[in-house]
Amino acid sequence: MLIQDNLILTRSNPSGQGGTQFLYRVKDYGLTALSGPQEEISMIHWEVEIIKFTSQKTAEFEVCHSTELADKTLKFYTDKSLNEFLQKAFQYFEELDTLEKMLPQES
Amino acid sequence: MSLENLYPSPVFKDYLPIEYRDLVEHGPYTNRGGKDKQTVKVTDMGKFKEVIEEHPMCAGCAMTLFIRLVYIGMPNPEHTIVVGTAGCGRLAISQASVPFIYGNYGDTNAVASGLKRGLEIRFPNQKKDVVVMAGDGGLIDIGFQGLMHSWFRKEKFVTIMLDNEVYGNTGGQESGMTNHGKVLKMAPRGKFGDKVDALGLAKVAEVDYICRLAPTNPARVARTVRRAIMVAREVGHSYIQAYTSCNIEYSIPTPDVMKDAFEIEKERYGFEEIISPRAKEYLDEIEKKAKKKKSDK
Amino acid sequence: MANVKGAAVNRTAVDEGKPADWIPGTERQTVVDPMEMFHKLPREKQFITGSEAARESMRRANIDIAIAYPITPQSESMQQAGYLYDEGYIKEYYRAEEEIGTFSAISGASRAGVRSLTATSGPGLMRGMEAISSWPGARTPIIMLNMCRVINTPLAIQPDNIEMSFMLNTGMILLHAENQQDFYDYPLAAIMASEQVDVTLPACVSTDGFFVTHARGPVLITPEEFKLPPRDGWRSAVPAMDNENPPARISRDAPIQKSNFISYHMHSSWQQEVFAAVHRSAKYFRKYLGGLIEVVNPGAEEFIIASGCAVSQAREAVRQEGEQGRTVGLIKIKTIRPFPIAEIVEAIQGVKRILVPEFNQAGWLHKELCAVLYGKSTAVIKDGPRVYGGMTMPTEMVLEALADFRKEVP
Repeated sequence: MLIQDNLILTRSNPSGQGGTQFLYRVKDYGLTALSGPQEEISMIHWEVEIIKFTSQKTAEFEVCHSTELADKTLKFYTDKSLNEFLQKAFQYFEELDTLEKMLPQES
Repeated sequence: MSLENLYPSPVFKDYLPIEYRDLVEHGPYTNRGGKDKQTVKVTDMGKFKEVIEEHPMCAGCAMTLFIRLVYIGMPNPEHTIVVGTAGCGRLAISQASVPFIYGNYGDTNAVASGLKRGLEIRFPNQKKDVVVMAGDGGLIDIGFQGLMHSWFRKEKFVTIMLDNEVYGNTGGQESGMTNHGKVLKMAPRGKFGDKVDALGLAKVAEVDYICRLAPTNPARVARTVRRAIMVAREVGHSYIQAYTSCNIEYSIPTPDVMKDAFEIEKERYGFEEIISPRAKEYLDEIEKKAKKKKSDK
Repeated sequence: MANVKGAAVNRTAVDEGKPADWIPGTERQTVVDPMEMFHKLPREKQFITGSEAARESMRRANIDIAIAYPITPQSESMQQAGYLYDEGYIKEYYRAEEEIGTFSAISGASRAGVRSLTATSGPGLMRGMEAISSWPGARTPIIMLNMCRVINTPLAIQPDNIEMSFMLNTGMILLHAENQQDFYDYPLAAIMASEQVDVTLPACVSTDGFFVTHARGPVLITPEEFKLPPRDGWRSAVPAMDNENPPARISRDAPIQKSNFISYHMHSSWQQEVFAAVHRSAKYFRKYLGGLIEVVNPGAEEFIIASGCAVSQAREAVRQEGEQGRTVGLIKIKTIRPFPIAEIVEAIQGVKRILVPEFNQAGWLHKELCAVLYGKSTAVIKDGPRVYGGMTMPTEMVLEALADFRKEVP
């Protein structure tokens, strides 16, 4: 089972292919962890996207491949390895938020 | 069933139909003598109340005689369930005071597989005998797959084929057990292919007790049924293939039905018993015990 | 292991090929009242596939016998049932020859008075349909799991629940599981309902193959040391075929011997009773599942009514509509048979638009709703989106259908 910290939404795979998607959010960033169906159950894995939320109020987001965490969709084969990544990612998002606040705001 | 279930309460006895009173007082349940030994004699047929009667079978039908003998041969009719399927036989079988499952056509051996295993779970200390009694079409044509696989799985029940070599109930179409060249409905140019060698298939499947017979020797029919049931109880599967002519579709004059049975038996349906070594060992053991009991008396 | 020589009765651990001190799993479990299991026992959250959820459900279901023939996507669950048999949670188990054999055998087992389970998928269901359609009349409380898949040409193994339409009028109880959680809960509830004396009917729990069976989802499960009460073979609308009852000329199986007025009457009254029993099962599902339907956003002007996986897609659409400030209602139908007419009618009072998304070509749920709501609602009932053959139903598709619907019926 994945850790529940910063989990804001659990929903069925919105693409309609079955499976479950978890949405994690730390400030404006976060990630989606999707576990979809596989013909061979042993091949079930996590597909993780780093995301940037586009709204303060809703769960709308865009996929973000420009952080240091990942420049592509990540794959994890166990809950354990993904949980380790989640911990690191949460910390990174906190730091990123602090850094971004230090940048001069665009007018 | 504990036999008490059969016996009416003394208060109600007088109000029950005479047939029922006859069944419990003079039927094969009470005439037993010993726990495993049946004292109802085939030679007394007609003098005691059978578990089957008032059937709507055709006059002179050999199948009816055979079915009556099967019920007389049952070692414990009070613990027996019969599974059948569409066909002439079920018209008589459903008139017996032994529970009868009348399923979909061709499903007998699958139903019996589940039933027998279920009964073993539910009654671990009481043997329940399951007997499939169905026609040649129901077993060798539409029920072929279920029949074969119950044999391969060595399911512990008895299959009895009522082989009248035709689909009697639907009006006389050829079946897999019809002989080569025979002109019947749906075989206007004569049956293509040979009569299926069901006995040979049973041998290949290593069925533990196999017997082919015609109802020419009633005592032998009852003994065969008893043997088949005892083997199915303790060892494995049993298969009996009985010639039970259809006097209507084969135009056998009613008075000549038994004459036909003797002729066919002589020609191609001779008594043949094939018993596996482990079944033989078991039968020798119980039959020796029975003999010893008799001589002790 | 019924074919082991001499092992017919009182089988020991050694007979089962286990060490002498082996204790079957089922004997290490404690029986609990079904209501306690469904509503009171603590639950642990696991993230498992639908097939694994089915396994955990079977582990707690006190099943006597399981018989099945493998077919994708059911195989995963029924091989798990094999492991449960090996662990001693299921007493008897075998792989049958094919589906007619499977469903005939399981009816034999159920007639013996023991709790009997089978499972299948699309084409397997169709192959065994003759046997299945005779279960209700035989009053056999069989539990069947059905992992839906394409049945028609071109051949595919993809999710598509058209096969459920073939079961609507069999006289079976029919549930439609939305997700892995339902596929854990529903079989347990269905077993208990189907074995009630005033029900005594087979029950099928369907779910959408792959989407649920081969994908993981969160499932709250009860501790494995507790199991349901066993089936009581003596407690039934009709006696078991065990020869433990006074003899009847033709006991239990409908005595339709030849065409005559008695047989017509017998068949019709027997069938009336079967379908009446389906209705009577509703009260048990209300207790066990907390209702035949689930209503999200009661009082909304527009509703989505769905079952199975389509509910999950609708749920997300409803959430996203909510983010946009629009309230869309959702009715999840848990029991297709008994069909919750009264509950639905009550929930849609004053509703203008009803959208029915489905994962099949026929649109059987839409047709059903149109039929039962005729004259009982002024809402416009629209079918869509409808996907099949393995096609997916992204949330956007549901949102678009809702937007179009609003334009058509302002």
